[in-house]
Amino acid sequence: MLKCLTLLALAVAASASVSGIIDISGKDKQRLLQAITSGFIKLQPDDLDSVYYAAKGFDIMKEPLVKVLIMDSCAHLEYQYKPETSVESTFHALAAWKILKCVGKLENPEITNKFKKALEKPTCTSDVRYGIEGLQLLGQQIPNPAKVAQVLQQKLKEDDSLLSLGNGLHAAAMLGNHGKFAMDRVEDVVVQADEVDGKMLQWEGGLSTTGLLLTGLFKLKDAKALSQNQADKFAAYLLTRKSVQTAKGALALIEASMALSESSVSPVSITLAKSSQVTLDKPDLIVKVSNLLGKPLKQAPSPVVALSATRLADDVVVLSKQPLTPGSAPTEYVLPLKLEPGQYKISLTAGSHTSSIVARVLGPIKLQSLEIGLGDSDGSSAPKMNKIQQPNKVNLQGDSNQNLIVKFSLPRSVHQAYLRLYEGKKEIIFIAEKDNSQLYKINVNLANELTYTGNYNMELILGDSIVSNGLRWDLGSIDVKLTTTEGPNVPTHDVKPEIEHMFRVAEKRPPQAVSMFFTVAAASPLLLLLIIWMKIGLPFNYFNIYSVPFHLGYAGILALYTWFWLCGNMFSTCVWLVYIGGFTFIAGNRMLRNIATDKK
Amino acid sequence: MNFPIFCVFTLALSLANAQLNTLVLLDNQVIKETHSSFFKGLQERGYTLTFKIADDSSLVLAKYGEYLYDNIIIFAPSVEEFGGSLNTDTITQFIDEGGNVLIAGSSATGDVLRELASESGFEVDEEGAFVIDHFNYDVSDEGQHTKIVASPEHLIDAEIIVGDKKNIKPMLYQGTGILADPENPLVLPLLTADSTAYSYNPDQPIKEYPHVVGKNTVLIAGLQARNNARVVLCGSLSFFSDEFFGSSVQVAQGGKVYDRSGNAPVAFAITQWAFKQRGQLRVRSVKHHIQGENEAPHAYTIMDDAVYTIEIDIYEGMQWRPFKANDIQLEFVRIDPFIRTTLISKPNGVYEAKFKIPDVYGVYQFKVDYDRIGYTRLYSTTQVSVRPLQHTQYERFIPSAYPYYVSAFSMMAGLLVFSIVFTHCREEEGKSKKE
Repeated sequence: MLKCLTLLALAVAASASVSGIIDISGKDKQRLLQAITSGFIKLQPDDLDSVYYAAKGFDIMKEPLVKVLIMDSCAHLEYQYKPETSVESTFHALAAWKILKCVGKLENPEITNKFKKALEKPTCTSDVRYGIEGLQLLGQQIPNPAKVAQVLQQKLKEDDSLLSLGNGLHAAAMLGNHGKFAMDRVEDVVVQADEVDGKMLQWEGGLSTTGLLLTGLFKLKDAKALSQNQADKFAAYLLTRKSVQTAKGALALIEASMALSESSVSPVSITLAKSSQVTLDKPDLIVKVSNLLGKPLKQAPSPVVALSATRLADDVVVLSKQPLTPGSAPTEYVLPLKLEPGQYKISLTAGSHTSSIVARVLGPIKLQSLEIGLGDSDGSSAPKMNKIQQPNKVNLQGDSNQNLIVKFSLPRSVHQAYLRLYEGKKEIIFIAEKDNSQLYKINVNLANELTYTGNYNMELILGDSIVSNGLRWDLGSIDVKLTTTEGPNVPTHDVKPEIEHMFRVAEKRPPQAVSMFFTVAAASPLLLLLIIWMKIGLPFNYFNIYSVPFHLGYAGILALYTWFWLCGNMFSTCVWLVYIGGFTFIAGNRMLRNIATDKK
Repeated sequence: MNFPIFCVFTLALSLANAQLNTLVLLDNQVIKETHSSFFKGLQERGYTLTFKIADDSSLVLAKYGEYLYDNIIIFAPSVEEFGGSLNTDTITQFIDEGGNVLIAGSSATGDVLRELASESGFEVDEEGAFVIDHFNYDVSDEGQHTKIVASPEHLIDAEIIVGDKKNIKPMLYQGTGILADPENPLVLPLLTADSTAYSYNPDQPIKEYPHVVGKNTVLIAGLQARNNARVVLCGSLSFFSDEFFGSSVQVAQGGKVYDRSGNAPVAFAITQWAFKQRGQLRVRSVKHHIQGENEAPHAYTIMDDAVYTIEIDIYEGMQWRPFKANDIQLEFVRIDPFIRTTLISKPNGVYEAKFKIPDVYGVYQFKVDYDRIGYTRLYSTTQVSVRPLQHTQYERFIPSAYPYYVSAFSMMAGLLVFSIVFTHCREEEGKSKKE
């Protein structure tokens, strides 16, 4: 689309020529065949039309078909054809059957009747058209053409949509003199075409509608349907539709372009046969003057002259009124462009048709040497420059007080003259400034331009659309020391580092031996006491049976405390203490009373 | 009672229904035909396309407060103003409410698209500027070196967006350059140009520094907004055209010939991504408990062994399927993350982490924040409280304290024995007792 638009833009000045061809036997063949073949595959049941579009497409392009495809398609036609199939599809099935030369017979009297009936009582104009076409295909006469014409006119009145009109035109064209009434509708049809961007004409409904109407208009004999200008605009539209994907569209495209090419207003296409670029050693620009399909025109236009060639850069006319010499093919003409490298706009005329094209003369660019060096950024001392030859390299070391300077000169100016500094994925590009004398200079303040320390590689890139050899020259590296060493943090979506929690370390404890020693030491007084008592002996002279409960109770209290320490809680301990304590209190009282009475 | 508080924010949730209603805005009807493969491909992928001319005065996005479309495709580079109720504000609002937009520009991008682009964090180069690469242009180039060959190496490193890079052939591109802020974490450069490329008007000598140059030249930019709405801007409408889809590719001056460009697979992959058919994640469930238990506790105690499981789904082929990855991380956060660990993948999209709760009590969150290029941002937090040890949970019978225990018990035992001796051995031989 865009390409075509640019093509069209180039052809604005050309009042009567198109800049492009639909090359059905060359460049566009493969693409169109692919689109057409799609009609044979993935067939829906009841779809008889696609087979016709595909078969007809192959027929027009004179391409042989694979046997398997033919057999499959014939089987599909035979299997899917039913008496209730519409007139249009019936015709399509029948036509496809004939084109594919299927074995057997699809036609029968029923079909003939169907076509005849369609002519008598059609539901729409397409019934009339395909009725006629069907009968013609079967080699039969159209019964009562005058009546058919009347019915057709009736139907056209009922439905004057573009599709109906298109089919009506086709039908009328086949009715010969009886179809003359359709001439009145021609103007009406043409007026309904929509203009796109002032460069293209099409009918609403896209390629198939436009194709139907174009073929219909040109089928009508003696109809001066389109002006040359309109034909060119329709051709321009067809050119944009070269990338059509369906079989129906591809067939419509081919048929419409053929109809246009064969008409009296056949658009003349002035294109470049190969490329719009010539080099200094091969300066021949080959221009192709042909019809829309890339075929020679019925009347070869002459003379073919390059009216002028203007250099786009400075609008200087470098060539005028140079006739083109015929080339190897009948449609080809040669214009030698022995010019300085550059872009040229060439106005061509072929007979009465004009066109302007942009061509480029490419030339190599030579860079013999350049100077590279470092200078103080305050300009206090002259910069130290190294002159290097291609493809040598230098290694430089710079710091924040210095500028990197690169100077070189070129025979002519280029669009792209860049110095690229890169380190890993990061790259910074500087643009060479040109002073008047083709001298390019790059001055990089290291501190300002490079934000952080690093070892950067340097590369010089020279390129232009009229340079046949772009230059990429690895100049070496520069080690830059700056105050900042790290680049800014660019947000990432990466995995974050894992974090483990540092648990508080347990306090250090004394070795077990020490605590055991002190355990023994703490237990020793009691042990000592017991040992001593055992040694000296204890006279239990006040002991009697009444003392036992108290001591048991007291031991119980102590046991309760131990239980409390080990696993009990305060509440149950208190409850138990009340019982045991009460018992101990009474038992103690009894014991003391006994002792007291004993003493007495 | 202190109930645990669950807060699960999953923005991707409840999007199970296919988001396939798509509005296509065109400059003119011809684009529908020149880009028919792209549209047909989308229809085959289940999208419902509604074609409208961009300045159609009957354009509406929403009716009765509900959006009619889930996605918008704007293939109208030169439109200066949208028709009907559409303008930059309504489309921006559409994005803010989760709608997806695919925009294709050209070297003649209109103002309204520029505005829309800058709302989305991109900048489109000036009118008339093309991406030029004198070293990587296609053989079919018209001479200005603007039909460039974009190497699949320069696609973003995210299979979920662009597909498998290794199998993608070079792509054709003809259009303008896009400037994307590298520091904006939401903007993704999906396809960039080579170091030798730059964006400038090919007919004018370079007088000013080009807006984009080298690898900073973004050809296709993507934005995944904070609400996970996606916007893709391609500087070339031709990138999606039948012509580029079916064309062969060869870098001029002796490159390898590829019989078909990589445009179609990349265009469909990126569109599928933009319309959230790829890379959409959701959290199905979150569970956590103490090891050996099944239910979430009311509160964790410090140094418990916790088990956290999360189930994650990805939207794939029109349905939710278990998601597989090995880089999902769990954070246990109290203001700052105390623990960050990688979740271990189990079958069926279940991810599990086992860890010891830190020895600091407080209110924590289990947080999964999965933010990877191309995927919707998955953010799930579950709040739990962690309390200190109860008095009964400390260590008993510390060996270092044995002297104290023994002292106390020897005291008690001594008292008991002494009380017996004292009460029963007093009068008769008082001397033998303590002297």
